[in-house]
Amino acid sequence: MQIVTDIVCPFCGCLCDDLEATIENNHISKIKNACAISRSKFLNHSKNRLNSPTIDGEKVSLEKALDAAADILSTSRRPLIYGLSSTECEAIGKAVEISELTGGVIDNTSSVCHGPTILALQQVGESKTTLGEVKNRSDLIIFWGSNPTQAHLRHLLRYSGISKGLYTSEGRKKRFIIAVDIRETATAKMADQFIKIKPNKDFELLQALSAAVRGYEVPDVAGVSKDEIMELANRMKNAKFGIVFFGLGLTQSRGRHMNIDAAVMLVAELNHHTKFLLTPMRGHYNVAGANTVTTWQTGYPYAVDFSRGYPRYNPGEYTSIDLLAKGEVDAALIIASDPVSTFPANVVRELAKIPVITLDHKISPTTMLSKVALPVATAGIEGEGTAYRMDGVPLRLSKLLEPEEGVKTDAELLDMIIERIGGKR
Amino acid sequence: MKKIDVTLISGRTTQQGVGLEEGKTSEAYTKSVDYIELNSSDAEKLGLKEEYLVKVSNENGSVVLKWKKTDGLDSGIAFIPYGPWANQLFGYETESTGMPWFKGIPALIEGESKENMLTLQEIVESLRSGK
Repeated sequence: MQIVTDIVCPFCGCLCDDLEATIENNHISKIKNACAISRSKFLNHSKNRLNSPTIDGEKVSLEKALDAAADILSTSRRPLIYGLSSTECEAIGKAVEISELTGGVIDNTSSVCHGPTILALQQVGESKTTLGEVKNRSDLIIFWGSNPTQAHLRHLLRYSGISKGLYTSEGRKKRFIIAVDIRETATAKMADQFIKIKPNKDFELLQALSAAVRGYEVPDVAGVSKDEIMELANRMKNAKFGIVFFGLGLTQSRGRHMNIDAAVMLVAELNHHTKFLLTPMRGHYNVAGANTVTTWQTGYPYAVDFSRGYPRYNPGEYTSIDLLAKGEVDAALIIASDPVSTFPANVVRELAKIPVITLDHKISPTTMLSKVALPVATAGIEGEGTAYRMDGVPLRLSKLLEPEEGVKTDAELLDMIIERIGGKR
Repeated sequence: MKKIDVTLISGRTTQQGVGLEEGKTSEAYTKSVDYIELNSSDAEKLGLKEEYLVKVSNENGSVVLKWKKTDGLDSGIAFIPYGPWANQLFGYETESTGMPWFKGIPALIEGESKENMLTLQEIVESLRSGK
């Protein structure tokens, strides 16, 4: 029996780094400090595994599956390389290499989560911080269109509402927590104040708040009374260290990137009065890494097209949903993602028309739809690597267990595909 | 059949996260994403009993789901966890942002649905055949 400490959890963008696993006979028998989802990931990681490479659902050798994958990619005129948010950074780098080699498009899951956030931040900048600073200094925390009690389970405990830090030794007592949402989520229930807003009206409320911070009188907006807006503006101005943690409630509703634009401008306005910051609640554990690696290798964070041999960036055109909806890609390589479960059904019907190669550790609707499916070692459990936390801090994932014999990591398999494509060109 | 118009949102839940980590093919996953949450007054308007299924549809498609009552939602707003069932109701229009409209879209709910729910396998097969 072996006890491993300080394990980084490979589930959400919190990347909690204090997990403790008990390992017996290459099996995790206990996991400490994990949230419910993390516990499920560590304890169930051997269930429902993809147990062999397949072509059209038939089991084949790894060599044969890799040859088929390389064949599809090297004969494709414009493949889509997608996913990457639930694997480590080295694999993401290899995926960029395949995109360049094949003249394809590389996109990651931020396309359908915080892509609009990136669009806004590229336009108006970002007032950012680390989660450590939030823990040590924050006295006002606003969750806007985000619900950490369901999606980032230990966020409140480790980094925000309840955490105790250097100058926040009283933790929850000295912090004011606000939830802005269209429904009364569990986060809204535990907050000091819940501001209920009408669906698709975030932009209007954010603009009204900016005006109120500037000292203007505002009317009732988005179902929120003028008194409540003025009170909130004052509370924000009078905070010592405030932060907005925003989620997909802003990026996936009407307005999309314009909502984030308005949130950033509100925070910029507040910085005339006090210290105020904002941080996107990134979902998958290394989606921030997918943006980071793709940026340092191509200059752009997602939606990067190599069809002319050099990288071009145009979200809305080179993003996966748009490419598939318009039938502009003729093959797909999916890494550590399940677009069949996460894309709108009418987009998946387009994906089903082209040959798909999928690298995943478990059986998923996407592996079921794939021409070629390749099992991989689970990053952060059966393979090490680097991942980026939601605030941009890189952390090292651990290898706790040996994968099944012959099962490779994402990076190793992508390397083997690169070798084969190189040989064909 | 009774019908109501709602604004539909989708989102993550803890159970959906726990289920997907057991595996997308697990029963825990299906159970975590094959339902819609409704305000109790909306459920009354539809005359729903616990065992009834509801049919949710809009311009993008339709899906048959279980339903649950919740007090966290206002009347006229409904919630479905992210997943293959919810995705029957979203479209590919991104308004040049890359992002489909996953939250805040209009939909019609009918209860009680006489149609059966699709299993995960049936959804995958329907997508494969382009239906």
